[in-house]
Amino acid sequence: MRAHLVIPADLRAAFEAAGVDEGELGDPTVIACPSGHHDWPSLLASLTVVFEKSRAAAIAESSVVYVVSSDALLGRTGPLDAMAANGVVSAARTLAAELRKAGVSVNCLGVGVDTPPATVVEWAMRLLDAGVDGPTGELVQLGGAQIGKALS
Amino acid sequence: MRTAIITGAARGIGKEIAHRLATDFDHLVVVDLSPTLADAALELEATGVRVTPVEANLTTDAGVAAVVDAVETVAALVNNAGITRDARLVNMDEADFRAVLDVNLGAPYRLAMALDGTWADEATIVNIASRAYLGNFGQFNYSMSKGGVVGLSRALAISLAPRVRVNAVAPGLTATDMVETIPDDVIARMVAAIPLGRMGEPSEIADVVAWLCSSQSSYVTGQVVVAGGGRSLT
Repeated sequence: MRAHLVIPADLRAAFEAAGVDEGELGDPTVIACPSGHHDWPSLLASLTVVFEKSRAAAIAESSVVYVVSSDALLGRTGPLDAMAANGVVSAARTLAAELRKAGVSVNCLGVGVDTPPATVVEWAMRLLDAGVDGPTGELVQLGGAQIGKALS
Repeated sequence: MRTAIITGAARGIGKEIAHRLATDFDHLVVVDLSPTLADAALELEATGVRVTPVEANLTTDAGVAAVVDAVETVAALVNNAGITRDARLVNMDEADFRAVLDVNLGAPYRLAMALDGTWADEATIVNIASRAYLGNFGQFNYSMSKGGVVGLSRALAISLAPRVRVNAVAPGLTATDMVETIPDDVIARMVAAIPLGRMGEPSEIADVVAWLCSSQSSYVTGQVVVAGGGRSLT
C-alpha cells in the first residue's frame, strides 16, 4: 500500500507501522486538517497548503481522505480549529462533486482525542479504497462521541 | 441605544438585512467597500434610524479598527460581506483561493474577536454562510470559507454563551446581482432543482436574520438555518 501523506509525524508513524509506504503526488492522499493555530494569517497559510495538496490530488484524480477533529467540528476547541475543520469538510464535499464523474472518492474522517492511531489508519485506507460505488463526500466519524450532536 | 453592525450592507442581501433591522434597532453601523455605501446609508436614514456608514476593508487591521471605533455597545453583528471566485479546483489559482478565504472567513473572525468587550447583554451574532457549505461544484474556496463560517458560529456560540447567541444563515440561490452574471439557462436548471420552484428574495433571508437577532429565537444558538427553498434536499 502507498499513500501520499500530508499529516503530522505521530500519525505518519502509525501509517508506517501499518505498512503504508510514503507515496507521492498522484497516489491516494491523506491530508490532516490544520489545528492549533493562534491567529488568522497562520491558519490561512495552513489552509493554503490544504488547497495546494487538494488541487494536486484533483489534477492527478487520486482519492483523498481528510482527517479532522470531531471536537473541532463542534466548536469545542476554539474558533480557529472549528473554522478549519468545518471548512475542510465543506471543501471536501465540493471536491467530491467535482471528481465524482471520474469515479474518484473524497471523504472526511472525524476522529476523537482518544481514537487509536491504528484505527485512524485502518479507516483512512478503507476510505481511500472506497471505489466508484463506495462513499464519497461523506464525513465518517469514529468512536460515536458525535451521537446526539448537531452536525450537517 | 441598541446598535447593530451589518457588513456588506451597500447592496444585495446585506442591504436588505439593514433595512429589515432598521425597525428593530436604534443605530445601524453599515460597513462596505462599495461606492454605493453612502447612498445606501441615506436610504436607511430616511426610515428614521440612526446610521453610521463605515467604508472599510475588513481584511485589514485598520478596517476592523474603524468599525470598532464606530461603536460602544453592540447588540447585534451580522457578518454578511462576501465574494466569489469560482472555478473547478483543477483550474483555481492560489490568489483566488486566499482572497475568498480572507474576505469570507478571516474578516468575520477578526471582527468578532475585535468586538470582544463590546457585547450588550443578550447580544446576537449572525454569520451569513451559504448552502454551498454543503458542497457545490466549482466552489472549493467558497465552500471552505462558508463551512468555516459555520464552524466559527459553533465555536463562538460555546465561548460567548450565555451572554451572546451566535448562529448562521445559509442562503440558497437568492435574487441578487451576484447571480446576474449566471447564464439564464444555468439559472433555469438551478431553479428547477429547488422544491419551492424559485429563487429566494433578499427580504426572505433578511427575515431569518431578523428572527435570529430577536428575542423570539432566545433559546437558539450554534445553529445553521438553511434558507434555500428546500434545495438541500434535492
